[in-house]
Amino acid sequence: MYQLTKGNTRSTAMQAVAAAAAVVEMQQYLSFIVGGETYALGILDVKEIIEYAGVTRVPMMPATIRGIINLRGKVVPVIDLGVRFSGVPTEPSRRTCIVIVDVESGDTRHDMGVLVEAVNEVLDISPENVEPAPAFGAAVRADFIRGMGRVDDRFVILLDVRRVLSVEELAQVQTLAASA
Amino acid sequence: MSNPNLDQVLQTFVSESTELLVQMEEILLALEGKPNDEETLHALFRTVHTVKGGAGIFGFDAVVDFAHIVENVLDRLRNGQVVLDHALIEWLLKSRDHLSGLVETVSTGNEPEPALIEDGKKILAALAGYAGEKHASKPGLPVEATGRVEREDPRESISVTNEAWHLSVRFGADVLRNGLDPLSCLRYLGTLGEVVSATAIWDTLPEPAIFDPETCYLGLEVDIKTSATKQAIADAFQFIREEIRIRILPPQATVADYLATLEEMADGDAPRLGDLLVKMGALTTYELEEALRLQAERERETPPPRMGEVMVENSLAVPEVVEAALQHQQQRREQTATARHVRVDAGKLDRLIDLVGELVVVGASQGLLAKRLGDSALTESASVLSRLVEEIREVALRLRMVQIGETFSRFQRVVRDVARDLQKEVKLEVNGAETELDKAMVERLADPLTHLVRNSLDHGLELPADREAAGKPSQGTLALNAYHDSGSVVIEVADDGRGIDHQRVLAKAVAAGLMSHDAKPSHAEILQLIFEPGLSTAATVTDISGRGVGMDVVRRAVDALRGTIEVESQLGIGTVVRVRLPLTLAIIDGFLVGIGGSFYVAPLDMVVECLDLVDAQGNQHRGYLSLRGEVLPLLWLRRVFAAGDVDTEVRQSVVVVHHNGRKAGLVVDQLLGEFQTVIKPLGEVFRRLSGISGATILGSGDVALILDVPALIQHAIVRTTVVA
Repeated sequence: MYQLTKGNTRSTAMQAVAAAAAVVEMQQYLSFIVGGETYALGILDVKEIIEYAGVTRVPMMPATIRGIINLRGKVVPVIDLGVRFSGVPTEPSRRTCIVIVDVESGDTRHDMGVLVEAVNEVLDISPENVEPAPAFGAAVRADFIRGMGRVDDRFVILLDVRRVLSVEELAQVQTLAASA
Repeated sequence: MSNPNLDQVLQTFVSESTELLVQMEEILLALEGKPNDEETLHALFRTVHTVKGGAGIFGFDAVVDFAHIVENVLDRLRNGQVVLDHALIEWLLKSRDHLSGLVETVSTGNEPEPALIEDGKKILAALAGYAGEKHASKPGLPVEATGRVEREDPRESISVTNEAWHLSVRFGADVLRNGLDPLSCLRYLGTLGEVVSATAIWDTLPEPAIFDPETCYLGLEVDIKTSATKQAIADAFQFIREEIRIRILPPQATVADYLATLEEMADGDAPRLGDLLVKMGALTTYELEEALRLQAERERETPPPRMGEVMVENSLAVPEVVEAALQHQQQRREQTATARHVRVDAGKLDRLIDLVGELVVVGASQGLLAKRLGDSALTESASVLSRLVEEIREVALRLRMVQIGETFSRFQRVVRDVARDLQKEVKLEVNGAETELDKAMVERLADPLTHLVRNSLDHGLELPADREAAGKPSQGTLALNAYHDSGSVVIEVADDGRGIDHQRVLAKAVAAGLMSHDAKPSHAEILQLIFEPGLSTAATVTDISGRGVGMDVVRRAVDALRGTIEVESQLGIGTVVRVRLPLTLAIIDGFLVGIGGSFYVAPLDMVVECLDLVDAQGNQHRGYLSLRGEVLPLLWLRRVFAAGDVDTEVRQSVVVVHHNGRKAGLVVDQLLGEFQTVIKPLGEVFRRLSGISGATILGSGDVALILDVPALIQHAIVRTTVVA
């Protein structure tokens, strides 16, 4: 995956610049921890945060899809960002949370749960403090990054929800025959 | 059109018009069989009439003008002045399509395209011959400027055609002195509906010399289109009730009513007031003449009888008045029938169902808490509550289900038109129109079904001469069947046509490289080939089908609905295409099992029996068992679902399922019994997942997955074949 990023360095860097430009109006971000690293999502994409509990595993799905939960009568898939980012499943702990995100796919909107190690805080980041993503060197695929938010003296990775939760990519399934 | 209320009304107008036009089409197609059914002709007239009325409210002149001419033709039709032949039905169907196009265009705020207008002119020119010479000269133009006043056949003139309420008001002389403003009444009326016209009457206005500015000399004649009741209209004048003379005439009041109004309000000068009413559009000239003639006749007699007596004595008028009254009543009844349906946004329904589902879960946990507390009264009340909630849930779920019949009946037109183009004689048979399935599903089915129907018409059914030569009736039959089977809905498109030639399909498939030369596929396998892209067996490419893009598109659409499609065909006898669809949101009876700490549900109709796997220990890799001498292949779901190895301490159970005549045993950890379940779609992320058809929420709030038994069996077969 890392090599792929390197190969596409130029185009992804340009995409990131374009994405960073789109960030302008969004100023509040929810920050959370995945695999020890701090990430943030635009607060407008987040619907709610719930405790990690009652996730039902769906067989024959890759580890990225942790399972499904009952969100007040709706069945919502839960994506393990640990697996999505670095292939390491998130170990449930006392601070583990599911962030419910409103995702647009095609012309429909639906909810998706994002499994994170811990939720930190809501950050105010003004547009001028958002830098374009580095061409390489970040902990995740460059196209997942919308920009780097500067908070005090450190950087927070601002995620591009549409890329991270791309239904196209998540829907890749192992076939039944192969798994048995 | 920025007013949100108006937007909503506009939406209602569009959906109602669409419905009415569908109805119009159905009636026309039904009339083709028996053209002179009077009731049906009336119904036909009413459809166009109502569309026109609605369009009038919004000022959609293009629709009103066109509908007006069609309405004239229909009117002459029901009066027997025009005969309904095939050509006229054809034109009326075209008019319907045109109206439908117009409504769609104008409701989006656009002007009709020139092509559409041209179409309309062509249709109107053809209809002119039927509409009577009056319109023949200038088709396409509104006949009366307002489009609301119509010249009617004399026999119907006793009830006037004005569709608005007519109000005659004479304000008392002291109205102004008492600080009341007549104008405010008029303004209030405007909130009740559309004031079509309002004319001030100042006949009593004296010479300027003796004019008293504090005296009110005013009268009003108002036409208002509203759905308000007479009482509501009268209430507009509530505060000055004591000071005014008022008469309120309902829409389509009788001429006699108008006559009485004229006499009471005109203070002797009835013709003059009558002319005014004609100018306002409340009455037509003819109707006025009729009224005055009645009045004159009555005056000749001495002493003058009362108005009602005139009507009773007039043997001609009475039955017509009675008829008019009956007709009015009939309309009332129809209005109540439509009022029983409520249009609801589908999103709101989904929200309701979700909320009820939540209620079920909360109710169940409350029941548990009550039991734990040991308070019997509380337990009792909790159980009553949960029963009620269950009932609500069932009702709520049924709200989303619609009958497939409506979709099927749309094909009457398709079959008729296509058969005519192809010069074939085809009869459409519909079975199981009452079969219910999810509304979203019905909508997405329309296209693939149309494809299948066209295919049958084009390739399946033969020309009448060919059919007779083959010893079949010259009229072919196309059947649309729907029924529930093993937790799915089956929809069949069947014809008694020439059938599919296996050899030709095979030859084509070999030529297209879809099949090797030495392959020996079974008949069923060959037929399944027609769903491959790029395979069309039609010798000629026609407008309708045969371009090699057809059945594969249908299959993709069915796949997208998580359905399956299969063909059965016998050469010379006919073809059946069978589409099997899941119910999606339907309630099905399920059988709950546990596998490795998770819950799964098998559709109960597929479950034959359950048994213990007695000799499971040390025999985990066994692929089958003997069920009363029959070989039963086993599917170890723990392994299929990669849920870990079977715990040898736990005795495994087998759920015997059947599908398409095949039996299989599903090996599970626990049998948890039957229960009713709602399928929740899993969503886009899981669309490539097969073997699981959906999820459901248990009373405990846990999520259980629904097993797609056919897919599981199919995959087991494929796997075995690959291994072998």
